[in-house]
Amino acid sequence: MRAELPAEPSTSESLPPAGPHWVWVNDVNFFSMPDGQAFLIDADAGRMLGMVSTGYSFNSVVLPKAAAGVIYSPEAYYSRGTRGTRTDVVTLYDTAHLKPVGEIQIPPKRASVMPMSAAAGLTDDQRFLLIYNFTPSQSVTVVDTRSRRFVGEIETPGCGLVYPTGARSFFSICGDGALLNVTLTEEGKAAARERTAVMFDGARDPLTEKGIRLGDTWYFVSFEGTVYPLRATAHGVELGRKWPLATQAERAQGWRSGGLQHLAVHRASGRLYAIMHRGGPYTHKDPGTDVWVYELASHKRVQQISTRHKAGSIAVSQDDQPLLYTCFIESNVLDIYDAQTGRFLRSVEGVGQTPTIMVTP
Amino acid sequence: MSRLDRIVESMARGVARRSSRRHFLGSLGALLCGAAVMPLLPVARGAPAPAAGPAGADPGDPGSCDYWRHCAIDGFLCSCCGGNTHSCPPGTEPSAITWVGTCHNPGDGHDYIVSYNDCCGKASCGRCLCNRNENDKPLYMPFASNDYNWCAGSQSGIAYNCSTARIVGRAR
Repeated sequence: MRAELPAEPSTSESLPPAGPHWVWVNDVNFFSMPDGQAFLIDADAGRMLGMVSTGYSFNSVVLPKAAAGVIYSPEAYYSRGTRGTRTDVVTLYDTAHLKPVGEIQIPPKRASVMPMSAAAGLTDDQRFLLIYNFTPSQSVTVVDTRSRRFVGEIETPGCGLVYPTGARSFFSICGDGALLNVTLTEEGKAAARERTAVMFDGARDPLTEKGIRLGDTWYFVSFEGTVYPLRATAHGVELGRKWPLATQAERAQGWRSGGLQHLAVHRASGRLYAIMHRGGPYTHKDPGTDVWVYELASHKRVQQISTRHKAGSIAVSQDDQPLLYTCFIESNVLDIYDAQTGRFLRSVEGVGQTPTIMVTP
Repeated sequence: MSRLDRIVESMARGVARRSSRRHFLGSLGALLCGAAVMPLLPVARGAPAPAAGPAGADPGDPGSCDYWRHCAIDGFLCSCCGGNTHSCPPGTEPSAITWVGTCHNPGDGHDYIVSYNDCCGKASCGRCLCNRNENDKPLYMPFASNDYNWCAGSQSGIAYNCSTARIVGRAR
């Protein structure tokens, strides 16, 4: 006679410390925007580990260093679902149980946009969380993660988004192609705001707002595929030497970069990953089935990866055996590749409804 | 008064009724400093109901993503949601301000400024999703960017339902 299966207790899972191959996939849930979500995936196992439920017009979770024990999520809620009183908060979720363990109320101004990494960011020492507002006045909300309080709001007229450059500094991009350099006091108030010279021609060839950062330099790519290195120095942000992602012959064939999160960087190797497609002008949001890889130091292209499915977003893990992740808002499949060889490893299907941008620990 | 001035004044009046004038105009001034191209301007709602044009002057299906006015739209087409190209579905409110595109009408060969007012106050319509990006600009150029939810600034708040494609006038 076979042994009976034992009776089981009803419990909840908890998570170990984050692994290097964990990835958060954010979902604005475009067809049901009051119900934003973020999914945590173990890319080695091809398994979903858990999720957080993140309210209206959700952008992305913000991951501080692991020691913080929490992740941050700028969120918006209406008291009656889609109407009533709007309340914006930064919710703190503990990393072991993905439970809300704290909440910081902020002005109900958080920008409701297609999700972008630059809609929020942490200063380099993790102390202040910066959140882009659009009402349509433009400003940045500052939250002190140490005291867990709203500190204040910094007006950024004519300039948008948040690109941290140090422990007490960030810049926003202005509509005329200049940058607004903002430095903060120890208390998180604006110490100085200075507009730089014009860095690019926004009317002719704007930079996508989807830059990536390596060390002191933010790298942006223009609609036509030119890389703009913007380096933070003691004297402010300076434009370095520009270079093209594609050769002249490739550009003539229409090769350009595009997508919702079309760039990623592997910091230790200094490699840039860019989603590429062939298309005409104003295909800057089109997905691609190619990811081209460059050494940022030499501008040399070192690899070309063909993806299994259309990729609108990419991310790369930061360990020494890096994985490349791809997803696309019009499907809900996360594809996982060896970032060094480009070899396809596995897919995770059914990740949300309209997955947008990804973040890695 | 030039056409440009009329559009800006009309927009500013609409917004002043709804928000802090000083606050908003400060941002607007800065935005306009950076806007070198005339059609990339904010516009307000409140235009009179249009008269029907001559037959064949507005070709295509407003419920189709391919319709000429949708050249820079991003969202659910109100024509599929109980509204039409310039009117919101019942119980939703047109956004006070929005982004504009310049689209070519194959029916009469003219370019038109098209205002993509969002309709606000209910959850996503979910029908006829359409994203086209002719002349679309990044988020740091708001009034030419279709990646904002323009329900921000409306009385109804940011609950986004669908997007219209309203003719503002000829692009000259």
